[in-house]
Amino acid sequence: METKTAAGRVLLDCRGISKSYTGPQVLDEVDFSVDRGEIHALVGENGAGKSTLIKIVTGVTDRDSGEIVFAGTAIPRSHSKKAAQELGIAVIYQELSLIPGMTVAQNIYLTKEPRFRALRLIDIRRMNADAQALIDRYGFPLKATDRIDRLSIAQRQTVEILKALSDRASLMIMDEPTSSLTSAEATRLFDIIRKLKAEGISVLYISHRMEEVFDLSDRVTVLRDGRKVATLEKGKINPAEIIRLMIGRDLSESDRGHRMTRKAGEVVLDVRSLSSPGLFRDISFELHRGEILGFGGLVGSGRTELVRAIYGIDGYDSGSVRYLGKDYRPSVRAAIAGGIGFVPEERRLQGILAPISVARNIGVANLDVLTTAGMVSGRRELEFAKRGIALMNVKPDLPDMPVGSLSGGNQQKVVLGKWLIRALKLLIIDEPTVGIDIGAKEEIYAHIEHLAAQGVAVILVSSDLPELTRLADRIIVLRKGRIIKEFDEGVVSEEDVLLASSGIVEGERR
Amino acid sequence: MSLAALRRLILIGLMLAIGAALAIADHVFFTMGNLMTILQQGSLTGILAIGFTLVMITAGIDMSIGAVVAVTSMVAVNFLSYTKIPVLLFLPLSLLVGVVVGSLNGFFITRFKLPEFIVTLAMRGILSGLALMIAVRDSTGFIQNVYIQDPTYLWFGGQVGPVYIVTIAFLVLAFFTQLFMKRTRAGTNIYATGANPAAARLSGINTTRTIVGVYIFSGVCASLAAVFISSQMMTAMPDLGIGTEMDVIAAVVIGGTPFTGGVGDVWGTVIGAIFLALLKNGITVLGISPWIQPIVVGGIIVLTVIADVWYKDLAEASAARTARRARDAAADGAAA
Amino acid sequence: MNVAKLKAALRLPAVLVALMAVLTIVSPRFLTISNLSNVLWSVCVISILASGAIYAPITGGIDLSIGSIAALTGIFADILMNRAGVNWLLAIAATIALGAFIGLFNGFITTRFKVNAFIVTMAAKTYLYGIAMVISQGGMKSILKPAQFLAIGGGRSFGLPNPIYIMLALIVISHILLTRSSFGRRAIAVGANEVAARLSGVDPDRTRMAAYSVSGATAAVGGIVLASLTQQSFAGAASGIELDVLTALVVGGTSLLGGSGSVAGAFIGAVMVAFIGNGLNLLNVPAPYHPTATGIVILLALIFNMGIAPRRRGAAGGKHLRRTS
Repeated sequence: METKTAAGRVLLDCRGISKSYTGPQVLDEVDFSVDRGEIHALVGENGAGKSTLIKIVTGVTDRDSGEIVFAGTAIPRSHSKKAAQELGIAVIYQELSLIPGMTVAQNIYLTKEPRFRALRLIDIRRMNADAQALIDRYGFPLKATDRIDRLSIAQRQTVEILKALSDRASLMIMDEPTSSLTSAEATRLFDIIRKLKAEGISVLYISHRMEEVFDLSDRVTVLRDGRKVATLEKGKINPAEIIRLMIGRDLSESDRGHRMTRKAGEVVLDVRSLSSPGLFRDISFELHRGEILGFGGLVGSGRTELVRAIYGIDGYDSGSVRYLGKDYRPSVRAAIAGGIGFVPEERRLQGILAPISVARNIGVANLDVLTTAGMVSGRRELEFAKRGIALMNVKPDLPDMPVGSLSGGNQQKVVLGKWLIRALKLLIIDEPTVGIDIGAKEEIYAHIEHLAAQGVAVILVSSDLPELTRLADRIIVLRKGRIIKEFDEGVVSEEDVLLASSGIVEGERR
Repeated sequence: MSLAALRRLILIGLMLAIGAALAIADHVFFTMGNLMTILQQGSLTGILAIGFTLVMITAGIDMSIGAVVAVTSMVAVNFLSYTKIPVLLFLPLSLLVGVVVGSLNGFFITRFKLPEFIVTLAMRGILSGLALMIAVRDSTGFIQNVYIQDPTYLWFGGQVGPVYIVTIAFLVLAFFTQLFMKRTRAGTNIYATGANPAAARLSGINTTRTIVGVYIFSGVCASLAAVFISSQMMTAMPDLGIGTEMDVIAAVVIGGTPFTGGVGDVWGTVIGAIFLALLKNGITVLGISPWIQPIVVGGIIVLTVIADVWYKDLAEASAARTARRARDAAADGAAA
Repeated sequence: MNVAKLKAALRLPAVLVALMAVLTIVSPRFLTISNLSNVLWSVCVISILASGAIYAPITGGIDLSIGSIAALTGIFADILMNRAGVNWLLAIAATIALGAFIGLFNGFITTRFKVNAFIVTMAAKTYLYGIAMVISQGGMKSILKPAQFLAIGGGRSFGLPNPIYIMLALIVISHILLTRSSFGRRAIAVGANEVAARLSGVDPDRTRMAAYSVSGATAAVGGIVLASLTQQSFAGAASGIELDVLTALVVGGTSLLGGSGSVAGAFIGAVMVAFIGNGLNLLNVPAPYHPTATGIVILLALIFNMGIAPRRRGAAGGKHLRRTS
């Protein structure tokens, strides 16, 4: 299949790419290139800038400065998705770009269906045949007439790749492509990627999974805090080394790791063999009074699903939960009545009522306390709000301001604050400081530590390694839904957590 | 067999069963005249329903179709009464009413991102007044019932043998619309826009143009129906067609096109329209109070939608469960 | 209150005053007592319905069945009192209960079966109309007794027609409900962001069912007032009033996507809709033309609210109304 190429070994050449939204640089003078027929991995911690770089290359957002040349064509600053597509840059999403009610063939050829010359009617037979030929050429176990909504995620991904192929893509970008795949499916995907390489198509993918990076890539570029740290060649790639580069902080005394402490004391939460097929399996742990239990793991490891099940939003299939020494059937109602609070992962989508005032946002979680005979005392609600605002240092301190107008950090403070003014016994937090400025971060950390000091148990899910290792007394690492390692004593460094998350425990791969 | 085909089979089966029951219950039912009338009534609703189907496939709704019928018939009658323009010339011109209204609907919906329902409902209100404004009046200003006598015009309401012209028109329209939907790029684009607008846009489909297009088509179908309705009734009144929306929705919903968009079938709508006509005819033939009709129509819509949603949930839940079990088993194999 | 807020709050009343000025210029008869008392009953009925119907859009839905509920409940009350000989007070209580129950039923179907609110209530509008027709045999029946019932709509207290008191009472109650009750808080939360509301312990299903129930109850009150005022029960009563009520709500600042609404605004909106209708009457524009004006008004109001000053689309936002783009 012909790809849109011009002569030259380098397909994508990015130089000096910089970008900032409001505040710190998200990307800072990044140089980065992908050769033709190369499998190139882009790694870095959350917030290192990988997604932003991809967005710039694919035209979703504009860069502030720097040059990009693709297949000999300079890409202007006002890049667009359409232009990227026409140049031959394709992004493989997982669900986003397929039409569920249609077949594989229809999806591949959408807007480009082959037609009879006579009436311009779609030639279905030829469309299916062409699609099948394309499928067979890569040896996929798919039929052109399969319906998308009957296919598994891995299969849909394959269809997206086929679609990109039929669009003559020369660069395929994949963002965490294996996060929803089983091992067998992932292996099949790697075969596909290798086949693409053999045809001269370049693959750029973002991944946290070290074994993929190690097995698959020709080169690896490591980003850290918006800067490119290194580009390593195959042969020089070593998972542990990559992780060190990703984290790479100066190993001063305090960074060498944090000491884990086992807390004694009343068991607040006792989870036994909790399982929800496909999401998490056989999770057991105990949580003590005043303890901060951190959950580490890669995206898709099941942490969010686990805490949602514990809070009672989602159900689970088997296992048991005991709360405060008694059998407990998780439900949001029981949780709130029993002194459990929950700060969800996505602040904008799940945490705040954006057009509603700060006071009401705080009030909505405290309706049980504020309501007498069905009526809410406006005065008490305001009192609560002021208390919350003062406690969390929300700026600006205007109870009537719509929460959506606050900065991210202040929004999160409101979300957290509405729980902190209650008599909590257990607080579950999922990714507390995503997209929040340093100042607010520190304030939130202080609150969490203060909570624990007062005897409240905390479950902290975080992909921010410094945050996790700093705050947690114990860390449980999940991988593919199971507990792979529990750090409850000794000194634990960020590397230790990341290695465990990636399945590299004690030098061996799992 | 696909779900859509199964559904159609069930509907046809039901129709036969109901038809048989009615035939036994009352002699009048099973005469050629009555059966053709059922088809005719079904065709009138059906023409409207075909346009509506396309709108539903894009997950939209068009509440203005009844009012478009009214305005179009008023326009036609004006041409008839006040001009010497031959019928075959002014009828296509009347279809322009549908084009204009559809464009306006589509414009407000896409340009300002307003809810389809309210926009078309407001349009309905506006048009109902418009129909009154252009109604033919006598010298004292009262609205006149124009009796249509022009034979060319009346031909549309007539028959060819036992079969009504409108039935033929309906089936021909259905055939070509289905062909368009399933066998042209534009048709595929309509399905895509309704199923997943973001993905459609990513693939380069101009969803704005597609959406405006379906509303125009819906408007034209309504205008077309106006011609047949007024011809068959041999007269036109300014409230012609107003209130038919529910019947149209029922026909489309029964036929298997969901409100959520993305899927739908013109032949399903055809069967739905005829099914509804059969039910209504049965009610009349059995001498049941005509007031039962709105109850039946409203009730069928709710029940059908509930059943559809329920079935879809069931299918999704079971598919999700199987997918999760598979992933879980595979993860087992990997981690073990 | 700062300047910006003051300006925003005065905007709607300013438009109303402007409208009144225009109408007075166009027809000098507008500002006369006799004319204004004609408008009154229209304002009352629309406002009564709007004070309960507001909760449906606040939770992100819509209730299109209120007109049919009003008509059906008028017939029901008449039958209870005049055919079953039930005491008028009891009959009214039972009728309101019926309205609440029908609303609850709508809410149940939309939450339990996850069917779009507008389909459910639109279908309800149709079959309730059919039921009303069957019960009333398609006819218009005069209600000539009991006197107390007729006094609701036709009587006066302290010099003002009774419907005014009912309307004001409902406005006050609804305002308090929306701004000060737990239910009001929950309804707003559900409409603003259903997921976040659920995480904070609000039950969206129960809240929605209550919202539709309230909507049905006020529709019943409106139906009683209407039947009493017109002294007749008739299945086609209040037909088309949904558009008027919706317009009043939208003009008054209630977002159809959910999460915000104003009872006072809805009242002003109702006054405006009634005034426009009245103005048209004074211009000798017959009643069937009024929907034209209402249609234009609601389109303009929507464009202004949603198009030019676009609102964020919440997590649950608009799910009950629209799905394209």
